[in-house]
Amino acid sequence: MTNDERLGPPPVEPMSDAAWSRVERGVWSELDASATARPPARPPRRWWLVAGPVIAAAAVAVIVVGLRAGAPVVAIDEPSRVVSGSAPSSVSFGDAHIALDAETALVVSHDAVRPTVLLEHGAAWFTIAPRGSRPPFVVRAGDATVRVVGTRFRVARSDERITVEVDHGLVDVQFRGATARIAARQRWSSESPAQTESTTTTASLPAPAAPADPVATAEPPPTTPVVPPPVAPPVAPPHRPAPAHAATPRVPAAAPTTRAADPSHVDANATAGSDARTAGTPGARRDGDRAEYDRLAALEARQPDAALAGYLALARGTSRWADPALFAAARLAADRGDRRAVTLLGIYLQRFPAGANATDAKHLLARLQGDAP
Amino acid sequence: MSVGREHDVELARRAATGDRPAQRQVFLEQRVNVHRALYRILGSNRELEDLLQDAFIEIFRALPSFRGDSSLGRWCQTIAVRVAYLMISRRRPPAVDLALVDDGLASDVDVRRIVQMREAVRRLYAALDRIDAKQRIAFALAVIDGKSLAEVAELTASSVFAIKTRVWRARRELMRRAAKDAVLSAYLHELEGGES
Repeated sequence: MTNDERLGPPPVEPMSDAAWSRVERGVWSELDASATARPPARPPRRWWLVAGPVIAAAAVAVIVVGLRAGAPVVAIDEPSRVVSGSAPSSVSFGDAHIALDAETALVVSHDAVRPTVLLEHGAAWFTIAPRGSRPPFVVRAGDATVRVVGTRFRVARSDERITVEVDHGLVDVQFRGATARIAARQRWSSESPAQTESTTTTASLPAPAAPADPVATAEPPPTTPVVPPPVAPPVAPPHRPAPAHAATPRVPAAAPTTRAADPSHVDANATAGSDARTAGTPGARRDGDRAEYDRLAALEARQPDAALAGYLALARGTSRWADPALFAAARLAADRGDRRAVTLLGIYLQRFPAGANATDAKHLLARLQGDAP
Repeated sequence: MSVGREHDVELARRAATGDRPAQRQVFLEQRVNVHRALYRILGSNRELEDLLQDAFIEIFRALPSFRGDSSLGRWCQTIAVRVAYLMISRRRPPAVDLALVDDGLASDVDVRRIVQMREAVRRLYAALDRIDAKQRIAFALAVIDGKSLAEVAELTASSVFAIKTRVWRARRELMRRAAKDAVLSAYLHELEGGES
């Protein structure tokens, strides 16, 4: 690296106004929630007199729910931020139970009068006991506010895109001034807030801690044989289109069109990892993604740059086609001697460590890194 | 007390009482400071928005304790550093954000430099992900951001000697990891002010 080629310290990439607005909204929302949840001043209590029974009750609750759900359960009784890692998790407080998908974060403000959950990102199933005359249980996700009086429902959030699906009961979703009422077996999305969609015609969303149902597996078996993708030499000639049969990423099977809506027949462990990617994706969107993927595959030979850009755009989405699209982008980049191939493969393996193309991605990455100086 | 410091104390006092316009002024005045501190320590990160939110919530909750001993900007950065430290301490290595991968192909010198820079930065932060959190913060603030050891010591509530040691250890660990990575090695050398 010569002086002319010095890169300098990494620039601080500015955030968009939209991103700052999201941060600011989140801050005010949290501060407002804290102010609401703050209990009035009380005389000091002899906490040790009540600590014993409370701890014992909490321990019993944890054991009981833990035995029932078969998943790690944490009992909480004060505002907390709950984050699940690479595996699903669950929390319960009061008469509410929340089953978090992997990679989900939420803040629970346990207010005896008005319990509130702020879904920061990811997805979770909420099981709320009937509230009776008590105020509704509230879940906030972005600009959407879900109010419920007793039901089982799911909220998923990916950036500003929110989906709500109701298993049973009835919820109100308040979104940017409008209110939508979502009934059992219906799904709502912030992308088309004026419409609700029946969940019985699309792949239903999974419930936590239940027996496996192969039909519901979010990553269906591949429908096309896989041939290890060809790797161009480090100094590649201009694009060399791969044979049609070569380097075909494993693609998802067509989305199931009918399925028992009973979510108790779904294995959370088997599906939760990919569920966040498919949660709330309307069937039409999935069909569109599939058509887009096919179009890009056909475009590769004629306009590889456009195909690569298209694959990347598709990979940024959350549908099941993000997996094959990302691998296709990496494979195409590798095929063309584009140095981004290694980065893309790394991203693929981080994002889809058990994806349908993970093995091929590892092989291709190893070969590329072996070629690297 | 300087005029600027008086302004900080008065603004903090009003914001601490829940005055939303004052809180918003604090947010707007300090967001670049806080963002820069988090970005330098963590690099481009898909959780940055969440962390900014966490940092500002911590800032507003702590505002009643601001006495003007340092500038409001420095005080906010101290909290941002603490939020970053907590995040590093409890997370696994983050995924690289797909948004970092540009759509266009490297076709001219400028674009190639951008791609080189991104790759070098990506490798640098991937290596930083694997070293001790305190060492990482010291290195990021002192070497990447160019702050003096005294400033870093103030931001992290540590002694200058401790910071110097952490930077030295971080550098040693990074160079060890860069032994088989020419891109990272060259970039580290450049950041340290050396000639390649």
